[in-house]
Amino acid sequence: MSMPSREKMLAAVRASQPAATPLPVVPAFTGLASVARFTAALTGISGRVVVLEGWHALAAAVSQLFPADYRLASAILPATVAVASNTPIDRLAPIDLAVLRAEFGVAENGTVWLPEAHMLHRALPTVTQHLVLVLDQRNIVATMHQAYAQLPDVGGYGVFLAGPSKTADIEQSLVIGAHGARSLTVLLH
Amino acid sequence: MSQAPNHADRSERFLLDEERTTWHDETLWFIRQKRDRAVYATPEFQELRELASQIKDHTLSRLAEYLEQFEARALANGVHVHWAADAEEHNRIVLDIVRQARATRVVKSKSMLTEECHLNPHLLAHGVEVIDSDLGERIIQLRDEAPSHVVLPAIHLKKEDVGETFWQHLGTEKGLTDPQQLTEAARQHLRAKFLAAEVAISGVNFAVAETGSVVVCTNEGNADLAIGLARVHIACMGMEKLVPRLSDLAVFTRLLTRSATGQPITTYTSHFTRPLPGRELHVVIVDNGRSQQLGRPDFRASLKCIRCGACMNTCPVYRRSGGHSYDFTIPGPIGAILSPNIDMRKHASLPFASTLCGSCTDVCPVKIDIHTQLYKWRQVLGAAGEIPASKKWSMKLLSRVLARPGLFAAGGSFARFGLRFVPHALSHAPGYNPWAIARELPAPPQQSFRAWYAQQRPNQA
Ligand code: SF4
Repeated sequence: MSMPSREKMLAAVRASQPAATPLPVVPAFTGLASVARFTAALTGISGRVVVLEGWHALAAAVSQLFPADYRLASAILPATVAVASNTPIDRLAPIDLAVLRAEFGVAENGTVWLPEAHMLHRALPTVTQHLVLVLDQRNIVATMHQAYAQLPDVGGYGVFLAGPSKTADIEQSLVIGAHGARSLTVLLH
Repeated sequence: MSQAPNHADRSERFLLDEERTTWHDETLWFIRQKRDRAVYATPEFQELRELASQIKDHTLSRLAEYLEQFEARALANGVHVHWAADAEEHNRIVLDIVRQARATRVVKSKSMLTEECHLNPHLLAHGVEVIDSDLGERIIQLRDEAPSHVVLPAIHLKKEDVGETFWQHLGTEKGLTDPQQLTEAARQHLRAKFLAAEVAISGVNFAVAETGSVVVCTNEGNADLAIGLARVHIACMGMEKLVPRLSDLAVFTRLLTRSATGQPITTYTSHFTRPLPGRELHVVIVDNGRSQQLGRPDFRASLKCIRCGACMNTCPVYRRSGGHSYDFTIPGPIGAILSPNIDMRKHASLPFASTLCGSCTDVCPVKIDIHTQLYKWRQVLGAAGEIPASKKWSMKLLSRVLARPGLFAAGGSFARFGLRFVPHALSHAPGYNPWAIARELPAPPQQSFRAWYAQQRPNQA
């Protein structure tokens, strides 16, 4: 049905595009890939970083950070709400806290890579009121160049997540918790 | 005035509120300064700009091939790909998808393209509720206004305005002006919309040819929340949004928000590649004048734009005239070089809304020669007879004088003599010399440069 427009547009582009110019090779810009730099960057964008004494300290750390009786979704802690990729919206909506695994972090900007495989449901990282991501501190790279180099592909859906949801749309005043998670904590182990 | 208002007329309206103009000017300059701090903290920033510029140049030079590659990969990923030659076709395609999904409730995240195509009125006219979910966009949607900036759509408003709007439409307390409380009210209001929406529409920041992915960048998480919940996702993209390789995103994500707001990266940089089973992902690729602009050698570089807004934040004219004074979807310096391609007559005053200071070109992360293009559009408009009348005659006179050295010398001595005696009321007479509205003339020198130069000569011998 849209074939004519497709052909028309491609022909117009072919007629208009200039002689080919080269595609540059992007150098491997590296830098410091330290926990300190990652922490400073994430703290600077309103995220929180907590260093765990080890994987075994995870449950205690989460209940200390979120002492109230939260409706919890998680693949790595005993959950109070079971979530899968087809969980209906009315079960997702009341979730207070999600504790998920992150794949790797980026020191220059405090970002973590959250692939679909770790999300339980595509909407969980944004529908939950609070988000905790658990990251192996050996998996921190320096810049976005190394970050993308880590990814053979981006899967069906994947997010570079940097801090809690925020906005400054009212007079440029920073407000945390626009539509997604109101807080983001990265637990390093 | 019988003529349609031009940029200067619309700016005058903005300038009526002096306090607000000053706030607008200073706030945007503050954002420019945040941009500078983020840029200086990134040692390879200038190299990244050069790389981004070359990647975009290359992509535009082989755009047809990359569009085909993107389409093939996306189709293989189970994505529906649609082609829209113009705004009307884009709107028709989107409405068809919504109807096929038997949906009446749509949430939309930020997309300048759907603004450009006027998608909202089209959907509303056909019985589809469409809610803008970005906070700034929602505010202006409730007020029935257009965005005034590509990144900060409600930057022309004060918190008192937002409080008034939310009191009227969301039932918040009258006189509420606290941004935290206003945002919370919007969060509650929009949550209900997210949970109920059947279709999510988004823009596209980047589309990756080698993987067939579309990438959406937001701070609020509104795109991810809506898309994660709705059964159908429609991503609307201008055909120039492509990059060849996944790894190219490293260059662009490092540049985009540092240039826009001084942030190191957006909160959510989301890659959509394959829909889940039982769900749909549609990508609508839109031309709407882009292939024509690609065919203009002097102006094709404007298609490299990644919509960071840095040229607006830095522009001395934009900061003091406001986004609405441009009366075009994309305001500011970049809007002034994109708009004449769409309608030369209607937007003829925009390339003149510039001091040609070049600040826009200096900050542009993809190195578009914006101020050179502004200058070139002036030549094109001049040749097409689209220059404003007062400029046309003074320019003609000036070019005659400059072409005749004797006349120039005589005119100079007349001015040096005459200006001393011309009453202020005459040189600044209202309606006669718009240049003089906010400016004073310098005191005329006693002697011309020619006379001074002639005097120096004997001493040198
Ligand atoms: S022209 Fe350059 S500075 Fe202006 S919005 Fe586009 S990318 Fe940013």
